[in-house]
Amino acid sequence: MNPRVATYCYQCVAGPDLLTVEVSEKGGSRVACNIEPNFAAAEIHPAGGKVCVKAYGLVQKAYHPDRVLTPMKRTNPRKGHDEDPGFVPISWDEALGMVASKLNDIRARGLLDESGYPRVAASFGGGGTPQFYMGSFPAFLAAWGPIDMGFGSGQGVKCYHSEHLYGELWHRGFTVSPDTPLTNYLISCGANVEASGGVAGVKRHADARSRGMKRVQVEPHLSVTGACSAEWVPIKPKTDAAFLYALIHVMLHEEPRSKLDVEFLYRHTSSPYLVGSHGYYLRDPSHAQPIIAASLEAREEQLALEIGADGEVLGEGRLSGATAFSKLVEHMRPYTPEWAQAICDVPAGTIRRIAREYVDAACIGRTIEIEGKTLPYRPVAVSLGKTVTNGWGGYECCWARTLLAALVGALEVPGGILGTTVRLNRPMSERHKSVRAGPDGLMAYPFNPTGRETWSAQPNIRNAYRTMVPLAADGPWSQALGPTHFSWMFLDGTPPGLPRVTLPEVWILYRTNPAISFWDTAKLEERMARFPFVVAFAFTRDETNHYADVLLPDAGDLESLQLIRIGGSKYIEQFWDHEGFALRQPAIAPRGESRDFTDIATDLAGRTGLLDKYNAAINKGTLGVPLKDFALDASRPYGAAQIWDAVCKAASTELSGEAHGLDWWKEKGFATKPFPRTAWYLFPTLEQKGLRFEMPYQERLARIGAELKARLHEKDMHWWDKQLTEYQALPAWKDFPQEWIDHLVSAGGKEADYPFWLLTSRSMQYAWGGNVGMQLIKEVADNIAGHRGVIINTGRARSLGIAEDQWVDIATPQHNVRARAVLREGIRPDTLLLLGQFGHWATPVAKDFGMPSMNSLVPMSLALTDATGSGADLVRVSLRKAA
Amino acid sequence: MSLQTNWDARAALNFMCGGAGAGLMIASAVLGLPDASIALALALIACGLGAVWLELGKPLRALHVFFNPFTSWMARESFAAVLVFALGIGTFFMRELLPGAALAAALFLYCQARMLQGATGIPAWRTPGSVARLVSTGLAEGMGLALVFSASPLALSLFALAVIARAFANSEWFMTLAILALVALGAFVPYAAAVGGLVALAAGWHMKFTLVTRASHKQGFALPRLPVRGTR
Amino acid sequence: MTKWAIVADLRRCVGCQTCTAACKLANGTPPGVQWRRVLDLEAGEYPNVKRAFVPVGCMHCDDPPCMHVCPSTATRKRPDGIVTIDPDLCIGCAYCAVACPYDARFKVDGVATKCTFCVERIDAGLAKGQKPGVDPEATPVCVNSCIAGALHFGDAEDPGSNISQLLAEHRHFRLNEELGTGPNIHYLWDRLP
Repeated sequence: MNPRVATYCYQCVAGPDLLTVEVSEKGGSRVACNIEPNFAAAEIHPAGGKVCVKAYGLVQKAYHPDRVLTPMKRTNPRKGHDEDPGFVPISWDEALGMVASKLNDIRARGLLDESGYPRVAASFGGGGTPQFYMGSFPAFLAAWGPIDMGFGSGQGVKCYHSEHLYGELWHRGFTVSPDTPLTNYLISCGANVEASGGVAGVKRHADARSRGMKRVQVEPHLSVTGACSAEWVPIKPKTDAAFLYALIHVMLHEEPRSKLDVEFLYRHTSSPYLVGSHGYYLRDPSHAQPIIAASLEAREEQLALEIGADGEVLGEGRLSGATAFSKLVEHMRPYTPEWAQAICDVPAGTIRRIAREYVDAACIGRTIEIEGKTLPYRPVAVSLGKTVTNGWGGYECCWARTLLAALVGALEVPGGILGTTVRLNRPMSERHKSVRAGPDGLMAYPFNPTGRETWSAQPNIRNAYRTMVPLAADGPWSQALGPTHFSWMFLDGTPPGLPRVTLPEVWILYRTNPAISFWDTAKLEERMARFPFVVAFAFTRDETNHYADVLLPDAGDLESLQLIRIGGSKYIEQFWDHEGFALRQPAIAPRGESRDFTDIATDLAGRTGLLDKYNAAINKGTLGVPLKDFALDASRPYGAAQIWDAVCKAASTELSGEAHGLDWWKEKGFATKPFPRTAWYLFPTLEQKGLRFEMPYQERLARIGAELKARLHEKDMHWWDKQLTEYQALPAWKDFPQEWIDHLVSAGGKEADYPFWLLTSRSMQYAWGGNVGMQLIKEVADNIAGHRGVIINTGRARSLGIAEDQWVDIATPQHNVRARAVLREGIRPDTLLLLGQFGHWATPVAKDFGMPSMNSLVPMSLALTDATGSGADLVRVSLRKAA
Repeated sequence: MSLQTNWDARAALNFMCGGAGAGLMIASAVLGLPDASIALALALIACGLGAVWLELGKPLRALHVFFNPFTSWMARESFAAVLVFALGIGTFFMRELLPGAALAAALFLYCQARMLQGATGIPAWRTPGSVARLVSTGLAEGMGLALVFSASPLALSLFALAVIARAFANSEWFMTLAILALVALGAFVPYAAAVGGLVALAAGWHMKFTLVTRASHKQGFALPRLPVRGTR
Repeated sequence: MTKWAIVADLRRCVGCQTCTAACKLANGTPPGVQWRRVLDLEAGEYPNVKRAFVPVGCMHCDDPPCMHVCPSTATRKRPDGIVTIDPDLCIGCAYCAVACPYDARFKVDGVATKCTFCVERIDAGLAKGQKPGVDPEATPVCVNSCIAGALHFGDAEDPGSNISQLLAEHRHFRLNEELGTGPNIHYLWDRLP
């Protein structure tokens, strides 16, 4: 029997999957020949050690015939879509010499440019997954100093942006998941967990279905998740907020209060806080804390203060106020199911029934014992998908979803909704430790300051997240969570008040392809072509490294070393009963001249005189665990095996108290310790700290919005005024779809000429994977409808004379793409669907798919940017038979 | 890499040429046609088998085709073909073998028909009517070809009967009437009946070509029940 | 007697094609050849539409039409129910491909190929005293790979086997059952009341 090498696959955010690679000896060297689950992990992995379809493409990935196997440099100084870069092979010494000379020149002149922006920029794709392949490169980045990581490659428009920001604010939920192992009723608005939830999501939801969970999929097309749900509700695109508001209306105005968790609302949320006539909390004059009413729904007159933005006292003395909950009840009164029906195209009766099923399934008053602790049991949840949680309406949907949980006490308790990871609050490794007391009995949140003295008028990077988006915070992930398209857009003209956005002098790329994955890709390419020096770590040629000056081949997924943290609670459904570490190790020798990323980083650190800082960063814990007793001598270079041996020893010491080196980890592949299930739920921690969930009333956001408006206006910055309207204490429904229609009209189109909503949806076979050039993946993905063309409603297509497999043109006033027609019944007649992100023209294999992407049609625009800085995967288009 | 999941023109030629050849061998025996007719019949069958031999993925293993006469109509067809050739060639030396050759040809034709019917995966083939369709068509083709060699009343009558039988098996009335009209016209116009025979041959070949290469849609998958996803 | 069979739980299958990919990689099938694959089917008309994912492949039928039509006896049925192809006997006539009602056979480079139920894994596993369907090493790779827990493998003749229990507790059907081939992939669609 051939040996098996244990490793991991983290090509998508729903990883890691623990797998084994079967290797055979051929001509004295090892050849990877098969991928299998790591059944040794069956007991500790939420999906029994199973491995997602993407990992089965890793063998082809290693042996891809078009892989870049030597460093290369560009010989054609002209950059453009139609320019052949003229890449020629060079030695590693020459390649790193070129990069180091640029970097050393920058160090000599200063790390920031004349606008105050970092001269070096770096983009990494895949929702943070490249860091699981870049070895010790993060230590090099840390040693370097300021780097602009805000050139977006999908962030904002392709992520769950509002959920990330508001989710962290309300319940430390950078990603929010139902407690699938216990949930019995799930309303899923566009969340496509079967495609994006990885093996844990698929397994857990299958278990939940077997258990009898009812999932209602609310989505314009019958996605894979819709297919696997008990009910499909084909809602009109971008109207989810209206649907959710109507559910809340039914719960507040048509169901008895006994169906709500009144005790939870009163004791564990800010619902009983009194709100004054100016919309701010009434505060006790002695300590300025909010006054809590005697009951949930009350109107009281109290001796109080009402303090507005910038500390302005708006009222003092005996002031009258109503509880936040009473304000909510009034606020939601107009949003009846009949009102929503006209907007969402979902029958009022259906909305009413779903609201009632939801409250009836909530089990108000029931408890469950977990690990000896008695906790509330509320097995109902609402999950939101991409396009629902970003762009205009994202705030309203996230608010409504969190409120729906709060109303029945299903927030951060068994069966309800859970935030599964934090990325903006610290420490990032532990949600519970990030729960600290903030103002007003609520959790603290690291808002970017908006005060007169504290607001940062000078952005630290080009996307200006610190200046424009208080919710983005200012941690390591914040750069990627600002308006990451600003870095691109403002190259053609920076709006008043911000320092002129400049080109980065060096742009470093790894596992990202913004020329395909971002919005308005043609314009993006024009801007990319102006970048003076681009360093791309490259697997094959692609549409972005087409503009590179140097290509560096790092050793691939099956060829290099890295130890990462696994388990605990991470993205989406990755909350485990165990936590620990897993090793990625070379199953085969690096192909060609590709080099382990760690060795590249060490080499570069040496060439740039940063070796001591680089080693110090490693010692400090940049690679995932502080080295402590196993610290490296900062003054000398180490090989990848030595560095990871030290990390392995530190990790195993943290895990079990025993130091095990690299050889031990290579044999074991992974090691874990139990992670308490009670740690999935944040509610007990808030309760223990005497803190309340900030629901339903968003006084803080309203205040921050008012302050930000004042700051911006003080600097004569009025171009963000529309976004400032999002800062509402109780968000009202706005006609969100109309935003896209207005944009169409402003771009010169007539609404009637562009009658279709074009949407996208993730594909399980491709999601986040960077595996687009694998023949195997293409072949198996084609078994699922939509991988070969645009999905059109059968009846609608027939009425337009469009037949299956016929070529059609999909157009906006500016752009046009061509696709084969795929006729399906499971899509609204006013909606078109282009799965995934294709449209390749340089990536080998993928460029022959004949499959376009909506990214070339989606306009990049300030008007379509919400207050968090995100847009949505949505565009109005025309459809006609291709000539 | 070559990949094949259905039969193509090469297999169709076996049914086209083999059917017509077998029919002509039977006609040769019944009508006492000259050796040229027998030679043509054998040549046609040989052509068909040659074509299908080219379809084989491993043509050098052609002898393996005889291994399963217990259940495979393809193996049985191969044995019948051996008989047809042994007896058919024998007739050139011993005319008395002709009825035997005709019987073998009938067996060959029947095996071909059963072979098609045995393809369970293809609804258009697996119907019981396939046997009558293939056999009657083969006979009509053979009798039609026979008219080139003989325009005797018996030949004309047998041809007409075969064409009518074929009409019933194929529900093909317009073509049948046209062919019969040509046969009747033969009483007045020389060679009209022979033209009718060739038309029958062409119609048969067209039908078989279409049946094998175009009407070969697989069964497909129909779900008798849809899965219950969670609760109802 | 043993009769190996697969039980596919259609309630759990999500059409991810992990089994398709795992089969292709483990068996080294060429592009376009999928011994195991998952269909993506729709039923009904908008807005009353259902969509289902159905794993298909060789059904290792009780009465396999492919075997009956095979002129060379390359296709045979083992006592444990597995339908095999001897590539050294196969003449590549493709008769089996047109006889199979499940579109499960592919003539590749001259000979017929199809799902083998990973027979070599089963035999090697049994020789080591392992239980196919329970011990991963002795189980077909598609079943091992299934992330949804939709695919199960076991002995349909053993009333105590994993799959016999699943069949006893659920409503199930087989595809194209009316053809009388006795297919050995069973599809679960609901639990028994």
